[in-house]
Amino acid sequence: MSRYLAPARIGLLALIELYTEEAVPTDAIVPVVNFLASHLLDCDLTISSPTAPPDRWAKAESAIRLVLSIRDFEQVLGPFLAADRLPGRRLWDRFLEKLWHIDSLHGLQEFIDRLPNMLAKTKEELRRRAAAGKKPPTSVLLSPTAPFGAFVKRSCLEFSRMQFNHSAELWQGFVKYRQPTAGYWRRRNPQHGRLSFDSVLVNGEEEWGRSTDALAVVAYGNMLLMGDLDETVTVSTDDIESLLEIQVEQLHRYGNRIPAGLRDQFRHILKDSHFIPSLAHYLNYSDTWRSGDYPTAFDHLHRYFDYTMQNRGRLFYQYALMNLAILQSDFGCHKEAVTTMLESVSTARENRDTTCLNFALHWLFHFGRAHPKLVRELESSSMLGTGKETLMFLQLRAKESGMWVLWSSALMAEAKLVMSNGDSVATALEHMVRSSQLNIERNMKTMMGAQLSTIATLWDRLGLAHMSTMTCEVFLRCHARNSIFDDELKMTCRLAGLLAGKGRYEEAFEKIEGINRNSLDSVKASQYWHLFRGLLKLRRDLHRGNLEAADDLLSQLLQAGPESFEPDMVFMIDSLHIEALTRRGEFQAAFNKIDRLISELREDNRDISLRIRLLLNKVHLFDRIDRPEKGFTIAMRAASMAWRARLVPLLWQAIGALANILNALGEFAAAAQLLFAILPRCLETDSIFVVATLYSLLADARMGQAGEVQGRSDAHTHERTEFLTRAHEALDAALKHYSAVEDVEKQCEMLAKKATLMRVMGDDVLAEDCAAKYLVMKRAAVGRNG
Amino acid sequence: MGLTAKDIEHLKEALQQAVVKCSERCLYQSAKWAAELLDSIPDASPAEVEQRAAGGVGNYVHPAFFPSADPVEAALEAKELNRYLLAKSFFDCKEFDRCAAVFLPESILSGVLSAKLSEINSPRGKGKASAALPADHALPALSQRSLFLALYAKVISGEKRKDEDSEMILGPQDLGAVVNKQLLIVSRFLERWFAERQTEDGEGLPPSQGFLEYLYGMVLVKQKNDLTAKEYLMQSVHIFPWNWGCWLELTNLISRTEELEKIAPHLPQNIMSFIFHANTRVNLYQQGQDLAASLNDLLNIFPTSSFLLTCKALLNYHSKDLMTAEQDFSNLLALHPHRLDSLDHYSNILYVLNSRPKLAFLAHLCSSIDKFRPESCVVIGNYYSLLSLHEKAVQYFRRALTLDRSCLSAWTLMGHEYVELKNTHAAIESYRRAVDVNRRDYRAWYGLGQTYEVLEMHAYALWYYKKAAGLRPWDGKMWQAVGSCLQKMGRDRDGIKALKRALLADTYYDSTASSFGSAGPVDRMAQMDPEVLLQIASMYDRLDEEDEAKAYMELCMAQEDGGAAGAEGAGLGDSVAIHHDSPGGVASDGETEGAERASGHEGTGVTVATSKARMWLARHAMRTEDYPAANRLATELCQDGVEVEEAKALIREARSRMELSNMMDR
Repeated sequence: MSRYLAPARIGLLALIELYTEEAVPTDAIVPVVNFLASHLLDCDLTISSPTAPPDRWAKAESAIRLVLSIRDFEQVLGPFLAADRLPGRRLWDRFLEKLWHIDSLHGLQEFIDRLPNMLAKTKEELRRRAAAGKKPPTSVLLSPTAPFGAFVKRSCLEFSRMQFNHSAELWQGFVKYRQPTAGYWRRRNPQHGRLSFDSVLVNGEEEWGRSTDALAVVAYGNMLLMGDLDETVTVSTDDIESLLEIQVEQLHRYGNRIPAGLRDQFRHILKDSHFIPSLAHYLNYSDTWRSGDYPTAFDHLHRYFDYTMQNRGRLFYQYALMNLAILQSDFGCHKEAVTTMLESVSTARENRDTTCLNFALHWLFHFGRAHPKLVRELESSSMLGTGKETLMFLQLRAKESGMWVLWSSALMAEAKLVMSNGDSVATALEHMVRSSQLNIERNMKTMMGAQLSTIATLWDRLGLAHMSTMTCEVFLRCHARNSIFDDELKMTCRLAGLLAGKGRYEEAFEKIEGINRNSLDSVKASQYWHLFRGLLKLRRDLHRGNLEAADDLLSQLLQAGPESFEPDMVFMIDSLHIEALTRRGEFQAAFNKIDRLISELREDNRDISLRIRLLLNKVHLFDRIDRPEKGFTIAMRAASMAWRARLVPLLWQAIGALANILNALGEFAAAAQLLFAILPRCLETDSIFVVATLYSLLADARMGQAGEVQGRSDAHTHERTEFLTRAHEALDAALKHYSAVEDVEKQCEMLAKKATLMRVMGDDVLAEDCAAKYLVMKRAAVGRNG
Repeated sequence: MGLTAKDIEHLKEALQQAVVKCSERCLYQSAKWAAELLDSIPDASPAEVEQRAAGGVGNYVHPAFFPSADPVEAALEAKELNRYLLAKSFFDCKEFDRCAAVFLPESILSGVLSAKLSEINSPRGKGKASAALPADHALPALSQRSLFLALYAKVISGEKRKDEDSEMILGPQDLGAVVNKQLLIVSRFLERWFAERQTEDGEGLPPSQGFLEYLYGMVLVKQKNDLTAKEYLMQSVHIFPWNWGCWLELTNLISRTEELEKIAPHLPQNIMSFIFHANTRVNLYQQGQDLAASLNDLLNIFPTSSFLLTCKALLNYHSKDLMTAEQDFSNLLALHPHRLDSLDHYSNILYVLNSRPKLAFLAHLCSSIDKFRPESCVVIGNYYSLLSLHEKAVQYFRRALTLDRSCLSAWTLMGHEYVELKNTHAAIESYRRAVDVNRRDYRAWYGLGQTYEVLEMHAYALWYYKKAAGLRPWDGKMWQAVGSCLQKMGRDRDGIKALKRALLADTYYDSTASSFGSAGPVDRMAQMDPEVLLQIASMYDRLDEEDEAKAYMELCMAQEDGGAAGAEGAGLGDSVAIHHDSPGGVASDGETEGAERASGHEGTGVTVATSKARMWLARHAMRTEDYPAANRLATELCQDGVEVEEAKALIREARSRMELSNMMDR
């Protein structure tokens, strides 16, 4: 197997020769040069429309197609006429003429020997030619430094380096590669015979007679005997390696798995080459890793590093360990992952491998954020220092060693840290801006996903939902093409979550279902996808009062256990669980769970917003057991914490809870004042459920106020009516918002309240109407759920 | 040489026996040769086959089961059968030492050898020593077959070790000085064995089967004891003539035709001897009608024998009938497509014919069959050499030599490549090794001469050229080289003689070659080489023999329109066109003049040599005041466009002189 040259490359050389002979007509120049360039260069010259989804595997596929069959050439050259021959001759004919003109092993040698004529001559050579009395060449010349020239030069060099048996193999491979065109060529050239693939055989036929066939078989081996059954393909090592690189790059950049068809074709090619680059094992490892085949992934990883441990005089043990740790953590073996990663850190230190060390520390930092328990002991033994110190260290090192990606992501991590600690928003923003500047300066397209998702989080926390939505949209429309699929998935899910928050469940599901199914091959991604879909459904079921279905989903979600999900998702599951418990009236269980979670979060020093959420849940629980006043301090604390951390949506919720307590205490005017102040701002946050709750509280407060007025004297009937009307308006708004999120229970509650209100106001017809609506709704809900 | 059906039957039987016997003794090549020959005898007519079939299949006995003719040997063989089979399997698995140890364990060997030593050291105490060590003293009672196998295994293991010790080709260890350490032991043993036979107590012993003589001869050859070796080998072929290896050893020992004639009467008169005679003559570069006729006779008996066909092709090759030789080889290839033997010669022919596609195909074929055979490597090396890729060529020749150090053609060809690479030191060493392997290789001698000539060591070069010329007395190129060497040394008289010989040789080849009725490049010899003529003329000139010089100059000039032959001579004399014995300057084909030369293939035309001759003649005419002649010659020179300036000056001078004389006349 040759290192560089393969039959397909000879075809490319022949095409370049045609091009320099000016046989390519003007209108075909662009397609031909484009075809050549796309196979010689790494870049893709075809301008794909920005809206169309980019076909990431197109390059690999076309490379494989070219290696396997000559048909690609026909597709490119078929439609054009040749410029330098008889009219009616197509460029494809000229190309075939060129190929069939290479009529023996020596012909191949001559073909290669002739190639340097296409290169532009140096001054020295020109002078020598002039001295020899030859004219300088006139045809198209390729500069030796241009892509074509470099290719031609390299091909000549590689051919001259070949062992004889390799060049003979190349020749055989070429004969086989060319053979499919024999039928067409024979129609054009009737003198073309059975043995025309080798002129020596044709010439020898007169002399050798019938034993020519025997000789041909001896020389060409099984190729002639097997005919079409022989499926061996001649590829060069270089081809295989570049294909592998494309695939690994795709895997790294987009986190996709290789499409099955492509994988099969590639396996077919590898099957016939007795040389299997070690990178192939890495590819297998990545593939099995993503497909979730844990033992096989381990096997391949070990195999890969066994082959490459001592490569180019460097040790790669630390990388092996790092990969192993990532693999382990992905499959939920967190403890093993930590020990492995620590070993990787120490090995990297030993080998003075800064790059690896930095990556490992970065990973450890993130891992520590996600699984604080596992890392806590380490921090106490002061091996790594606390999270913040690590981050500072990482930033410094990344700057020193010019690892821009690492630097940028460290900045981002710091911004996140600041946010989750509830510190100054300005500091967080500063870090984000610095990271963004880096991204733009260094054109790190892959970092866009992380950056935009951090920004969206910030907007979310500040309660600017539309900004957050917009950021998500921007990412999905402009940057998704260049970033990892994981980012795309998470952004889509975030967008779907926002939509669901507005009660637009159908749209949310549409978004989620609209994700490219091919990319969901990867086990992690599909897990996340399924989980998120489950969560959305769960939320909808809870709202619709479909508690059985919710229980079903919850039991599945809880079963999976915290090992396999990210902590954020685990929290979401937990909070939905609490909600389900509350809705079902299992208050004790809910209370216990909340308490447990609160203490856990405090221990782990987790994101402040989660803690506030839990506190609010607790307050809500007290409300449900009709002892809202018990939650007063908690609500106050939540409000002050939310205020400090500028967690605006939570702040409004906390204030709402406070207003509820005020209502309970009979301080209706104060409650109404509070609610009146916050409602417009809350509307900005796009969390409809909270808005609806606030409205219903407002209605309660107004009713209370009306009661107070009534209690004082009869003179204030006018005032009372006004309060009642306002309560009615608030109830209407609440009902509207509750029905937007399809919350059946609350809707019924509102309808009941409305009916009561109507009766109080003396409008019995309307009251009856509301009562009837209530019954219909209740029955419908039961019917749907039952 | 007609053979009756009965004769053929006998021949077949004998060959079958030979194959079995040779392979019993692990003489693989001889067995292969005999089997090939056996296979090339055409089957008897169907009637006879039927007749034989009627005789009954039951009577058929596989030749392997014929018992040994001698009862004593047969008994011994029967007794040792198990051990023999063991030893043979070991040999087949290339475990030579183990094979030898089956029959000749170290204890027996050391006993035999020490007894021998004591005999030599103290002739008086012979009886005493034998009394002291009666058991060890005696030769082990073994059948000759087992003894041969054991000793042969010893020799082969020694050869293997020798090759391993030599390490890299042309490396520091590879000086040809490494010896086979087992030879001494084996030769002592065999000496003893033969001595025992010759003494009176050897009467009762069974007669020799011939193989041990062959082995002893082989060992002696390796020890460079040629005379004794020849004796033993001749004994061997007398006893068992079907061992081709033995004949081949004899062929290698004969380096001159006279030697062959000398030993011919002492050889047995049978078909093997006939084949040997023909083969040896081919290897000695003999040619002639009688040789061709005898080969044809043999081919009548063995029509498809690849060996004989190769001989015939080589004969044509040596007599410079390249086209026929090429056809012969081509037919051979079609007949035996998997056979690699002697394809290296074919590649030489294709090289000389400059038949690149075919050579490439041949190389492809060889490398498909087995890329690790010396022949394949030589073919590939030749192909690369033809493409002027000399480094690669050297690489393949080296590989051939690593595979087989005694591969003669690879040594010589590697020398040629080293010359091309201007590595004269390595070239000389390669040629030297080639000559050491086979002293009859005139190409290596010639190459050595050429290399020394490049180094301007003419006295040395002369010696080697003379060697080459001695081997090929009818090759003009050799004599021409001798002549030019002598010329450079200033020995003009001898030089002239040598060159005249060269002219003669060329015409000789012409006459013999025509007997093969071929066309093509041979015809080119029909006229004399103007270069040689010019050389002769200039030497005469230096000797101040103007008449002779003038005659030769005119002869040289006459070659321009002398015939319809090529202009090959131009620049040949001092070019480095030393590849093979090609008459043409093919080796320099890669250089720039290639195209020009090819164009001059039809007529002689004007060459450098003839122009020089013309210039000389013009000057001579000026000197002898033959102005019109000078004027004519100089004008011709102007027309030819050679040395125009000088020619014009001559014309001017001649004209002025003529005018002057005209004026004087008036």
